Amino acid sequence: MADSDYRKPDEDDEEDDEIDETGYKTIKDAVLFAIDASASMLTRPTDVDSKKPDTALSPTLAALKCAYALMQQRIISNPSDMMGILLFGTEKSRFQDGDGNGPGLQYPHCYLLTDLDVPAAADVKNLRNLVEDEEESKELLQASKTEVSMANVLFCANQIFTTKAPNFSSRRLFLVTDNDYPHASSRDARNSAAVRAKDLYDLGVTIELFPISHPDRGHTFDRSKFYNDIIYSSTPADPDAPAPLTADIKPASSTAKDGISLLQSLLTSVNSRAAPRRALVSNLPFEIGPGLKISVKAYIILKRQEPKRTSYIYLPPDSEKAQIAVHSSTLMADDTARTVEKVEVRKAFKFGGETISFSQEELSKIKNYGDPVLRIIGFKPQSMLPVWANFKPATFIYPSEEEYIGSTRVFSALYQKLLSSKKMGLAWFIPRRNAAPVLAAILPGAERIDPDGAQSVPAGLWIKPLPFADDIRQPPEVHHVPAPDEVVDCMRTVIQQLQLPRGVYDPMKYPNPSLQWFYRILQALALEEDVPEKAVDLTLPKYRQIDKRAGSYVIEWGEKLDAAFLSWKQQNSSGQKVTSTGATKRAAKAPASQAAGKKIKAEDGGDGDGGPSEADLRSAYEKDALKKLTVKDLKSFLHGKSLGKGMGKKDDLVDAVTRYFETKMDIG
Amino acid sequence: MAQKEATVYIVDIGSTMGERSHGRKETNLDFALEYVWDKIMSTVASGRKTAMAGVVAVRTDETLNSLGEGYEHISILHNIAQVQMPQIRKLQRELVVSNTHGGDIVSAMIVAIQMITETCKKLKYDRKIVLVTDARGPMDVDDLPQIRAKLQEDDIQLTVLGVDFDDSDYGFKEESKDSTKAQNEGILRQFCDDGAGVFGTLAQAVDEISVPRVKQVRPTPLYKGKLHLGNAEQYETAITINVERYSKTMVAAAPTASSFVVRSDIEATQSTQTVNGESEIPGGGLASVKSTRTYQVEDEHAPGGKRDVALDELAKGFEYGRTAVHISESDRNITTYETEPDLDILGFVEAKQYERYMDMSRTNMIMAERTNEKAYMALSSLIHALYELESYAVARFVAKENKEPRVLLLMPSIEPDFECLYDVELPFAEDVRSYRFPSLDKVITVGGKVLTLHRNLPSNDLKDAMSDLVDSMDLSEFGKDDNGQPTEYAPVDEAYSMKLHRINQVIKHRATHPDREPPDMPEVLTRFSRPPDELASSSKSALASVIKAAEVKKVPPKARGKQYNRKRETDKPLSDLDIGALLAQDPGRKSKRIDPKNAIPEFKQAMLSTTDNADIENAVKQMKTIIYDWTEASFGGSKDQQVVEGVSTMREELLDLEVPYMYNEFLRELKGKMVGEELGGDRRLLWVAIKNARLGLVQRKEVEIEGLPEEEAKALVNEEEAKAFWSMPKPK
Repeated sequence: MADSDYRKPDEDDEEDDEIDETGYKTIKDAVLFAIDASASMLTRPTDVDSKKPDTALSPTLAALKCAYALMQQRIISNPSDMMGILLFGTEKSRFQDGDGNGPGLQYPHCYLLTDLDVPAAADVKNLRNLVEDEEESKELLQASKTEVSMANVLFCANQIFTTKAPNFSSRRLFLVTDNDYPHASSRDARNSAAVRAKDLYDLGVTIELFPISHPDRGHTFDRSKFYNDIIYSSTPADPDAPAPLTADIKPASSTAKDGISLLQSLLTSVNSRAAPRRALVSNLPFEIGPGLKISVKAYIILKRQEPKRTSYIYLPPDSEKAQIAVHSSTLMADDTARTVEKVEVRKAFKFGGETISFSQEELSKIKNYGDPVLRIIGFKPQSMLPVWANFKPATFIYPSEEEYIGSTRVFSALYQKLLSSKKMGLAWFIPRRNAAPVLAAILPGAERIDPDGAQSVPAGLWIKPLPFADDIRQPPEVHHVPAPDEVVDCMRTVIQQLQLPRGVYDPMKYPNPSLQWFYRILQALALEEDVPEKAVDLTLPKYRQIDKRAGSYVIEWGEKLDAAFLSWKQQNSSGQKVTSTGATKRAAKAPASQAAGKKIKAEDGGDGDGGPSEADLRSAYEKDALKKLTVKDLKSFLHGKSLGKGMGKKDDLVDAVTRYFETKMDIG
Repeated sequence: MAQKEATVYIVDIGSTMGERSHGRKETNLDFALEYVWDKIMSTVASGRKTAMAGVVAVRTDETLNSLGEGYEHISILHNIAQVQMPQIRKLQRELVVSNTHGGDIVSAMIVAIQMITETCKKLKYDRKIVLVTDARGPMDVDDLPQIRAKLQEDDIQLTVLGVDFDDSDYGFKEESKDSTKAQNEGILRQFCDDGAGVFGTLAQAVDEISVPRVKQVRPTPLYKGKLHLGNAEQYETAITINVERYSKTMVAAAPTASSFVVRSDIEATQSTQTVNGESEIPGGGLASVKSTRTYQVEDEHAPGGKRDVALDELAKGFEYGRTAVHISESDRNITTYETEPDLDILGFVEAKQYERYMDMSRTNMIMAERTNEKAYMALSSLIHALYELESYAVARFVAKENKEPRVLLLMPSIEPDFECLYDVELPFAEDVRSYRFPSLDKVITVGGKVLTLHRNLPSNDLKDAMSDLVDSMDLSEFGKDDNGQPTEYAPVDEAYSMKLHRINQVIKHRATHPDREPPDMPEVLTRFSRPPDELASSSKSALASVIKAAEVKKVPPKARGKQYNRKRETDKPLSDLDIGALLAQDPGRKSKRIDPKNAIPEFKQAMLSTTDNADIENAVKQMKTIIYDWTEASFGGSKDQQVVEGVSTMREELLDLEVPYMYNEFLRELKGKMVGEELGGDRRLLWVAIKNARLGLVQRKEVEIEGLPEEEAKALVNEEEAKAFWSMPKPK
C-alpha cells in the first residue's frame, strides 16, 4: 500500500497524463491504538489452556501483542503510514516531551507508549521487549486506582493526531477496552467524553472500537450503554440503512472460545481494519446505456507489493545513528546549466533528429481523450474473453449513492444478471482526465468467504483492461509435434493426482518469499537481532508428495512418451507426414484438436470452404504471382494462420504471405 | 522484422499535378504528397538508421541525375539514406509543381532502380519503389519489359499509385478521362498485372492512411530453461521439459514528450527569427532539461533544520519504518533471496473456478524448446491433458538467478499448428487487500436484520428489465466478418490504442505541416467508444424499461441560500444523543473563543452555529490568528501541514457558507504576510504546499451562488488571476 499507487515516482520523465488524484489531503493513514490498562484488563483469564500460552495473556497484553504484530506488518505494507500506542488507566502518566507542562501532567493516567509516527526500529524493539519480557511489562502495566477520564483520553488522542498527523486523509483511533460503561455514576463526565468524541469526529478521526467481553466473569460488552454516544456512523441515522460498509466488530472474548484465543480474535478484527479503504477513483460515472448513468468508486484490491528500493543513508562521523537523506530535484537547462522553473518547461517529441513541439493548449487538446467515464458498449459471454487478454491487474468497482441516487440497486441488478448469465460487459474506460482510454471487460465477482467466516473478496464488478491490437505479439514460428493419446492419457492421470486443495489457488497461502526474506533481514539488522539462516518459502512445490502421489504415473508417462517419440521419429524421417497421429480420435471431445486434424489435411491439398487453399497460395508464391491474388483471398488465407491482422494494403498482405512461406521453407 | 529497408519515392511534379480535380480543394500534387509524406514520416518516426528512403522527382524544371541523355527532367532530390527533419524541410521546398510537362516516369523508374542497386548491392534489404503520378506526361514504353525483369530479379516491390486512376474494387471510375492519361494508365496497369508490381488509385491509399498500422515485433525468448514437475535432483519421478517463454501481450508504448526550455542564446533574438510562431532554428531552438538531485539530512544546528550533503558522503541502505539501516558494500546481497532459474509446477486447479480478476500481469506464452522435438511432444501431452481436464497448472517461476519467485497460472491453448501454455502472474498474500463491502443481493441493517427488499436492492421489475437489456445488447454476433457472416463485434485484436496512434498522428502531421493546427481524432480510434448505433437503437425500449424501473436521480446540487445554524445529518453519533445541545452547554465553548489546541473542531463547530456574517467574521478572525501563529512557529516546516489543514478547513467552511470572498481576503492577507516575511522568514515552501493542496483563490466558475452581492463577487477571480496569484517573489 505504498503511496506509489497514487503518485508517480518523480524520476519518471513521462508525461503527466497520470494526473495525481490526491486532492488536498496527504493520502496517508495514521492509526493510534488506545489500549485500556485498567485492573480488569490486566487480569488474566481463569480458563487457561496450558498448551497455548496465548490463552493466558491478560487482555491488555493481548492487545499490545496485536499492536506489535500490526506494527511489523505495516512497516512492510504501508511504509509511509503512521502508528502510535496510547495506554490509558495506567498508574503512570506520560505524554509527548517538550510540551512545557511537564511529562504527562495534562493527561493523568494516559501513558503514551509509542508516539504517533512512522515506526522506528526502536519503537518496534521497545514494544517487543514489553510484550516478551514480563518484568518490563509488570512495571509499566499497573492500573491506576482512580478512574481515568474518558474525555481526557479522547482529547489526548485529539492532540496526538493534531500535532503528529496533520492533514492526513485517514486518521483512526483503535480503542481496545472491556469497560462498556465508564463514569457510571457521572452523567457530566460521560457528556464531556461525548463532546470530546465530537471534536475527534470534526477533526476527521474515526473511532474503531474493539470491545472485549469476559464470559468467565459474566460480562458481555454492551455498546448501547456508552459507546453509541461516542461513535459516529458515516451513514444517515435511518433504521433501515445498510450497516456501515464494515460491520461493527463483535466483542472478543477474553477466554479462549472454541480454541480461539483473545489474541487471535483481536488480530483477526484488527486485520479487517488494517488497510484504510482508499478509493482510486471516486464517483466515476458508469454509463450503462445512453441516458442511464450511475456512480461507482474504484478500488485497487490487487496490487503487487514490492520491496523498498535502496535509499541514500548518511552516516554522521560523530554519531552511530544513520540518517535517511531526503532528495529534492531541480531542473536544469542542458546548454547553460542554469536552473529552470517549471513554468518555462516545454514538452516536445524527438522526431527525425529534432524536436517537434506543441503549445500547451495544443497538447491539452491532443491529449483530451474525453471526460472520465466507464461506458458500456455491449455485452458478451465471458467465454469470449481470451485467456491471454491481460496486461495489468483489474480494478474493483462498487456503487456509490453520492452522485446518483439509485446507483446501488442498478449496479446490483447488473451484477446479478452478469453473474447468473455468465456474461461480461465491454466498456470504454477513461479512469481520469487525460488518461488514455482502454477497452475493458466488466466482470462480475461473487463474494468469497474465508474459512473463518470473514469476507475475503467482496461482491462487485471488476474492470479488466484489455490489450489493444498493438499490444498483441505474434509467436515465433514453431514445430508442431502433437502427443498421441496414450501419452496424453498418462499425463491426465498425473494431473488428477496433484490438485491443489479444493481445486483453487488461494493467494493467502502463499506469502511472497523474496519480500518476506527482505523484511526479515532488514528487521534483524534494524533491531540488531540474529540474521536467520534459512528463508521460509511456501511457494516451493511439495516434492515428496508429488513423488508419492504421482511418481508411478510419471514413470508410465515417460515410457509411453519415449515409445511414441521413437515411432514419430521413424515415421518422420521416412518422409511421412504427421497426419497419422491419434489427435483426431479425440476430435469429438476437443474441438480444437479436431481443427488441428483438419488443418493437417488441408495442408495436403484438400480444402472445401471457398477460399484459396494453402497449395494454391504456395504455387502462387513459388511463381511469384501472389500480387495477382485478390486482397480478399490473401486476407482469408492469412486469417486462417492468425496472421496479417490489421493489414489492409495488398503490399502488406503479400509481404505477410511471402514471409509465411519463406519461414515454412526454412523449417522444411 | 526489423529488416533493412530501402524505399525510393518517385513523385510526379509536372505542371498538370497543379490542377485541382474532382472537387478536391488541394492540388493533385498535394493530394499525392499526403500519401508520400505519411509514408516517409512513418519511417522517420521509427527512428531506425536502417530504414532508408530516397526521393526522385520527375517532370522537374531542372535535371539532376547522372544517367545523361534520355533522362531529362528527372531530379534525384534525396539519395537513399536515413531521412531526418532537415532533409524533410529541404524536400518540402523542392516538391512543388514545376512548369514542365516533359519528363518520363518510366525513365524515373530506371533511375530509382539504379539508386537501389547502388545502395543495396546484393545485401539483404527490403527494396521498394513507390511511384505517384497522374500519368499525363509522355511515356517511353519500350523499356518496360526489361524493367519488369529487373524488378523481379532484384526483388524490388513496385507500387504505382495514380491520381484518379480507375479502380473497380475501390469503386472509382474517372469520366471523360484525358486520352493520354487513359492510354498511360492502361499501360501501367498491364505492366503491374504482368507481375511488375501493385497498381492502385491514390484515393484508396490516402483513405488508408488513417487505418492504424500495427508494428510487428520480432519474438525474443524471455526465458529458456526447464519446466519441472517434481524435484529432478532428488527423485527419479520428476518430469523435465525444455521450454522457452515469449511475450504474448506487451503494451506498445506511445512516444513520450521530453522536457525542454528555449535556449538562452535564442531567447534574446527570438522575436526576429520567428515565423508563424515556430522557430526556424534547427532543433527548434530548444535545450533539453535535466533534473539534478540534491540530498539533505536533518540537522538541528543548520538554518531551516536541514543541511545539504554531497552524494559521495552518502552510503546505500534501506528504510525500516523511519529508521535508516545501513548495509555495507560487502553485505550488499544480504537482503536478496537466493534463487535458481526454474519453472516448477506446484499443482493443478480447475479452470472454471478461476476468477479472471486474479490476473496480475501481462501474458506470456510457454512453448517447447524450438529445436527439441521430443520436448514438443512432451509439452503437447501436458497441454492436451490440461485442456481435456479443463484444468490449469500453478507454477513457481524464477526467470533469472536471484530474481524473486513469482507464481504463474499456466493455461493450455490449442490452435491449428500451434500449441502453447499461456501464463499470467498470480497474486501473493501480500498483494491482496482486504477491503470489505456489503453484499449486493441482500441488506443487513444497522439493527442486524436481513432484508431482501430495500431501496439499495433491485426490484424484480428492475432485475427483469436489466436482464433484457443485457441480452438485447449482446455483441457476440453483432459484427460482420469478411463474408458478411455474423461474428463477434469488437474482438480484442480489432481495437487500436488511441493514445499511441493519436500521438503518432499529430507528430507526423506537425512534422509535415509545421504551420497547421493538429488534425482531429481519426474516427477509427473512437469506433468503440460508444455502443454501435444500430445496437443502441434496437435496445432502446429495453433501456427505457430499465430507466423506468431504476428511478435513478442525480443528487441535486446543494440547496441555495445561506445556511446559518446548519445541521448536517451525519453529525450524530450512533445513539440519539443531542450532541449539538451538549456543545452549546459546554463551558469551554460558550465564550466563542476558539482554543488554538482544538482549533479545527471548534472552528467547524462555530461555523455550524453562526447566525449572521458577523458571527462568521468573528470565527474567521480567530482562526486567521491561529493559522498565522502556527506559520510563525513552523520551524523548518514542522507545522506546515498543520497550516495547510487549517487553510483547507477555512476554504471548505467558507465556501459552504457561501462567503467565498472571506476566504479570498484571508488568502491574500496570508500571502501578504508571507511576502513581507512577517511569519518567520521565507515561507515559499509552505506556499508551494498550499498550492499543491489546491487551496487557491476561489474562482468565479467554482461557485454557483445566485444573488451574490456585487461587492462579494468582486473578490472572486478568473482562472488566470488564480494562476498568477501563486507566484511569490524570492526574499531579498
